Amino acid sequence: MNKPVRNLFYVSVIMFASLILMLGYRQVIQASDLAENPQNTRKVFAQMRIERGLILGSDKAEFASNRKEGDLYYRDYPTGDLAPQVVGYNNITYGQVGLEHSQNKYLTGTADEVELVNLLDTVMGKEKKGADLKLTLDPKVQRTALGELQKLGKRGAVVVLDARTGAVVAMVSSPTYDPNQLEENWKVLNSDPGSPLLNRATQGLYTPGSTFKMITAAAALESGDYTSQSRFRDDKGRTDIFDGFTVNNYQKESFGEHTLEEAFSKSINTTFAQIGDKLGQGKLVEYMQKFGMYEKPPFELPSDEMSISGRYENGELLPTGDPMGRTQVVSMAFGQEQLLVTPLQMALVAQSIANDGRMMKPYVIDSIADYNGTIIKQASPDVWRTPIRPETARTEKEMMVKVVNEGTGRGAKTSKVQIAAKTGTAEVDGRGPNAWFVGFAPAESPRYVIAVVVEDSDAGGGISSPVARETLLAALGL
Amino acid sequence: MERNRELANFLPVILLMVIGFASVYATRSAQISAASLSYGLLFVGLFLAVHLLLRLAAPHADPVMLPLAALLSAVGIMMIYRIDPVLAAAQTRWLMIGLGLFSLIVVFLRNYRRLDDYIYILGIIGVLLLILTIIFAKEINGARLWLHAGGFSIQPGEFSKVLITVFLAGYLNSNRELLSTSTWHIFGLPMPPLKYLGPLVTMWGMSFALLLLMNDLGTSMLFFGIFLAMTYVATGRLTYPIIGGLLFCGGAVLAYKLRATVKLRVDTWIDPWPDAMDSGYQIVQSLFAIGDGGLFGTGLGKGYLLLQNGSTIVPELETDFIFSAIAEELGLAGATALIILFMLFCYRGFKIAIDSDDGFSKLLAAGISAGFVLQTFVILGGVMKLIPLTGITLPFVSYGGSSIVANFGALALLLLISNRTNAEKTR
Repeated sequence: MNKPVRNLFYVSVIMFASLILMLGYRQVIQASDLAENPQNTRKVFAQMRIERGLILGSDKAEFASNRKEGDLYYRDYPTGDLAPQVVGYNNITYGQVGLEHSQNKYLTGTADEVELVNLLDTVMGKEKKGADLKLTLDPKVQRTALGELQKLGKRGAVVVLDARTGAVVAMVSSPTYDPNQLEENWKVLNSDPGSPLLNRATQGLYTPGSTFKMITAAAALESGDYTSQSRFRDDKGRTDIFDGFTVNNYQKESFGEHTLEEAFSKSINTTFAQIGDKLGQGKLVEYMQKFGMYEKPPFELPSDEMSISGRYENGELLPTGDPMGRTQVVSMAFGQEQLLVTPLQMALVAQSIANDGRMMKPYVIDSIADYNGTIIKQASPDVWRTPIRPETARTEKEMMVKVVNEGTGRGAKTSKVQIAAKTGTAEVDGRGPNAWFVGFAPAESPRYVIAVVVEDSDAGGGISSPVARETLLAALGL
Repeated sequence: MERNRELANFLPVILLMVIGFASVYATRSAQISAASLSYGLLFVGLFLAVHLLLRLAAPHADPVMLPLAALLSAVGIMMIYRIDPVLAAAQTRWLMIGLGLFSLIVVFLRNYRRLDDYIYILGIIGVLLLILTIIFAKEINGARLWLHAGGFSIQPGEFSKVLITVFLAGYLNSNRELLSTSTWHIFGLPMPPLKYLGPLVTMWGMSFALLLLMNDLGTSMLFFGIFLAMTYVATGRLTYPIIGGLLFCGGAVLAYKLRATVKLRVDTWIDPWPDAMDSGYQIVQSLFAIGDGGLFGTGLGKGYLLLQNGSTIVPELETDFIFSAIAEELGLAGATALIILFMLFCYRGFKIAIDSDDGFSKLLAAGISAGFVLQTFVILGGVMKLIPLTGITLPFVSYGGSSIVANFGALALLLLISNRTNAEKTR
């Protein structure tokens, strides 16, 4: 009977050995995969032992601060639902998004520039601390924009840029949420059809509608075939572009004889259809690319929280060379036809018109300071691209002034400042149209650029104009 | 002499215990009070008392197993203490009860071979305990393992395991001649007469019933495995484990098809990631914990085991999943050391079986040892996703009264067997 017992022991040794081998595989070979798994919150936890840097508004108001419990730091968001889609959250259960995610290295003091200081301090026995972010976001402007959207009770987004630097002064997405209450609301937030977690300003894809005419007009003016005074005729409110394809104006309105400038300010589709037909796909796509479409904006948010503007089919971005039929090109010229853009993209288009044809790199981080107050990174305004010539920009600027003074943007008119803009009403299948307002002020020497989109606006395109006006006035301090 | 060696073996155990408790206390002093350290002292006192008792009642018993069991319990209490000091207090109470039962057995069952006369009663009690569990148990995590009475909850399976091992030792010892004869062959394997295959089929049926009624692959595998190991020892024939293994596989496939819980367990084992927040949560979090340990671990008290509200990230961390906590905080080095402790423990158990000179003792020692091996393998393999996960305790280490008490009872039997063998040798 001893031999079987011995054999049992040998089998036991094999079983124990297989346990040790498996353990070694899990703890050594597979360890880094397990650590990197997004469901694994250990990294976030480890970082919670570090006092994270603050996230401050342009007025030094705190967007994110810390609270210590035991030996862990927890994040507080004193501004609540004001800008969670930009600031993001740092949560032990739900991970990180927004600037909390993309700037994590600075906030935890593990970026190279901060590391050295921290290393010295650690040697001196001081606790490791993260670096503070000072944002270009102005809480006052942010609050005005959010309030205006909430007053409408509509989903939508607002982007306000500094016209000369590209600094993001406000970036609002509505509905919004309170990042202090993720645990309580997580399920609701994820099932809410309004997708409050989504940053509509950078992720939301909308049909640009007539705001796209800013790009078509730029291409037309620079082609040499058109000036702002080029003349067109429209007698029936609809035009046969070619055999079997007719374009209608909004509500079939007829405009008679008019200039390109008037076509722009009154948003005459038939005229832009003819222009588009003449320019062709190549020219239009060329200008879309010049204005930064088909590319992720060079912005500080995590890459997966920004969408690319361009032509889409079934949720997929089509390549620039994707062959288009003549009707498609014509429809694209006035902003329909599979085009999808983000509010940030349209703000950048207006910004380059406001800034003599120079599109600035958008940025939201003004400076990063280590906890001694030493600035380790300072934003310097930087030209991203030059889509149009200065004279084209000036011509378009005048056309945009007319939009507010005599055209579709009259709802934004105010005696306090001259606003320039392009509006748009983009049809959406199955729901009310999206109302756009893209513009800047003061027109003569632009300081702030704005893009507003309001979803499902059964009241028509004019609904976005007051939002833009009030927000611009708040930014200008008027 | 054995007892002096035992005392010497206790010294490193006490030393490790002091270092362990001190380091947990040092890293978590904000959360736990110094008074709870007294459990450490109580622990040392208890084992020294049992050691003194052995000097009187079983002076020739194996000198290694009690210190090993003490070390395993110490690692367990230390981890439980680190997870929740209140539970460590409860575990210390369970340990007192376990050592109490141990002492009773050592004192009153010195002539343990008398058990051979009562095996049917013991076997029936063992089966009744299981039946009671099946009838009255509440379902926890899909498996019916727990009996609740008053404020208590016990896992009768842990006791049943020991009782049925005793029964099998007696039964197989009396019938092993018959089971060893072979009258026919299947595929070249010698087969005993059909009527002697009866117990095998009965045991298979019982294990399979367990599987279907308790929804628990692990417990049925444990019982059937003990049975196969013991028939193999009794007969010396591989026929039994081979046929038994095939029967078990057949039963497992059937259970997979019939029982949603078993299917879920197996599917989660194959790929837990799609349901990592739901049915795969426990095993996935266990893997994260184990992976985080790396070679040397995060250090005691420094692992990521608890949420801010004090609940554990891995559900049932203090019981079935205690090894994940150990692997995280002590790393591959510490966790491997723990596995080697179990291997040593089982080695001593099998050695007691080999050294003993009568069939009943041999079968009992081998059966108890095989039970420890299987139980350890089932839960450790489960938490590291080597085999499908099943809820079962890690002997001596996991939090849990039934487990601690039953396992110290089994240990007492092993020590009595070795005491008798060694006493005869010295005589």
